[in-house]
Amino acid sequence: MGNSSEREPVARLDVAEIEAAEEIVEQRPPGERALGEQVAAERDGGWITALWALPGFVWLGFFLIAPLVFIVLVSFWTYSLGAKSGFTTNWTLENYSRLFHDSTYWHNMLSSFETSLIVVAACLVFGFPVAYFLALKVENLRYQIALFVLALAPFWTSFLIRSVAWTYPLNYILAKVGVASFSTASVRLALIQLYILFMVTPLFFSLSQVDRAAVEAARDLGGNWWRTFREVILPQTMPGIVIGSIFVFVLTMGEYGTVLVVGGNKIQSVGTIVNSYIQLAVQYPYGAAAAVWMVLVLIAGVFVITRFSNLRQEL
Amino acid sequence: MPEGTGTLGPTSEGAAPVAPSDAKGSGLDLIELTKVFPGGTVAVEDVNLHVDHGEYVVLLGPSGCGKTTTLRMIGGHEFPTRGDIVLDGASLVGLPPHKRPTTTVFQHFALFPHRSVVDNIEFGLKMHGMPKEERRKQAFDALRMVGLEELADRKPRALSGGQQQRVALARVLVTKPKALLLDEPLGDLDRLLQLRMRVELRNLQRQLGLMFVHVTHNQEEALSMADRIVVMNEARIQQIADPLTIAMRPETELVARFMGDNNIIRGRVTAREGDRLIVENGHVRASVRSSDDQPSIGDEAMVSVRAAAVQLSDGAARAQVNSADCEIVFVEFLGDLVKLHLTVGDERMLAKVPGDRYPSLRGREGENITITWNEDDGQLLRA
Repeated sequence: MGNSSEREPVARLDVAEIEAAEEIVEQRPPGERALGEQVAAERDGGWITALWALPGFVWLGFFLIAPLVFIVLVSFWTYSLGAKSGFTTNWTLENYSRLFHDSTYWHNMLSSFETSLIVVAACLVFGFPVAYFLALKVENLRYQIALFVLALAPFWTSFLIRSVAWTYPLNYILAKVGVASFSTASVRLALIQLYILFMVTPLFFSLSQVDRAAVEAARDLGGNWWRTFREVILPQTMPGIVIGSIFVFVLTMGEYGTVLVVGGNKIQSVGTIVNSYIQLAVQYPYGAAAAVWMVLVLIAGVFVITRFSNLRQEL
Repeated sequence: MPEGTGTLGPTSEGAAPVAPSDAKGSGLDLIELTKVFPGGTVAVEDVNLHVDHGEYVVLLGPSGCGKTTTLRMIGGHEFPTRGDIVLDGASLVGLPPHKRPTTTVFQHFALFPHRSVVDNIEFGLKMHGMPKEERRKQAFDALRMVGLEELADRKPRALSGGQQQRVALARVLVTKPKALLLDEPLGDLDRLLQLRMRVELRNLQRQLGLMFVHVTHNQEEALSMADRIVVMNEARIQQIADPLTIAMRPETELVARFMGDNNIIRGRVTAREGDRLIVENGHVRASVRSSDDQPSIGDEAMVSVRAAAVQLSDGAARAQVNSADCEIVFVEFLGDLVKLHLTVGDERMLAKVPGDRYPSLRGREGENITITWNEDDGQLLRA
């Protein structure tokens, strides 16, 4: 800065002295604890905590793990029209090999994937300014909460009602501007609106965590608005971006209700396909295999998102 | 080096003893700087101050006195309601922070948590478009300056408070600012490290020959580091002077109180011989010199006497003036010195004597003692 380049930093702190002082400041006899610390350390043998977590584990085990395991099992069993449940427990790979050659399924997987990516990107682009405004521009905590609740308001109505409410106006407007109604575009637009809050919320909390002094420091050190945003705010918002993206990606990939309603039965997604195998064709093993594949694709997608952003390091 | 703007002894102008220099001159000038926050709070009012290049100025005052707002206005983080900020003849007021040749060391360091130490230090250079190799080199020069080369790749959170502070310092110095602004830079450090960093920071500033404007509420820190101290209270400057004058010759009651360990004798002027006044209340008579004809006989007046200037005259009879018979309320031993808390009537007084006198003072609470001081140690205060 300026023309003061002749002032090279020959000046120096006496580091030895500073470190000597620091060493004295930081030494602490082994075993010494502050009052609160001691209590926490003595109480927690690990078992108590585990016990507290038990109900949660049971709940998750019963309602999440068990059905998943069951679906995986069913996907390896045999379809049988005569059996009471529609399948017998004979082991087979038939469901998977059939699915592998099912081009409709994979075509829908691809289009769902594309829809999800577009919706995630759109939620990010439209959600970020909202979250940014709420977290960094609204100074007053009260207003912050009020505006946040206001943003939440549409989500107080049931998702089905919102989907239906969207269907006709949206398709009407789309038809007016020359886009086919009950099309992929109308489904995507509806999904963006329905899921944007799952993006805004984590973004809002991430942005609230950004150290405002660091933002000021960046400005002070010569960063204009854009560079400050890119170099200081955005990297610190990564956890929110990742979590929001995972939410929106996972939820829209599996979405079938909105697709059916807003798409007017004309549009398909993996969700609607799986649903049709189970609800309409009553082919549980085949539907289960389709569902397992979808879960695998979701896991892969989440893995890619987290890899891409180095979430562990950021958190 | 600083010119002798703050002279020993009371100045007649009081709140604004230093006239802003010619706008074309060198250095930093604050001219009638005022900040009124929305809602009407006046944070800074009519602040006039000139700071030379190479000068170490400390803004000192209790919290809420406007010192930080003043600093933030210089740095561009707050916009003045009125007045001007001029650096080397050019007004800074219209410029955003990133276009000002000033940088700030923030109170809690404000390092970028997601960047390594060296990336933190490089940031300013990067923003100014310096090529990567050159800025790496300069960043490492700065790291060497603060003795942290070995920690270049760490993230800030893996550093101790003191190390973080040195990173913050290197990060601003590397941009070679014309003025360095420091907002309570030592506030987050442990006391022992604070004491060390005072010396180190001051030394560094002398070696760099850079203008430092430092904000603190710590009196000792201000006295130990500053070329000049600006004492502020309730949005206004109370006194600008070198540390010796601030310590020995406080001009206002606020300064005398805020600097601590000053006896303030309130009374009325009962006599005047030339420039010598007698100020007395029911318990104490003090003589003091006044440079002008205020106050006149009958006026209320305040005289400040440093606790360290008070002498104990055990056994001797009380003198006519500058003396008092006190009761000892508490004997406080502080190692190097003993602080005697005294009362005379309903007035509280303080005396500080060398620590080796503790054996003869210990346990004497409730006893009477006579104290005296020299006329030269009395200082007439403005209200």
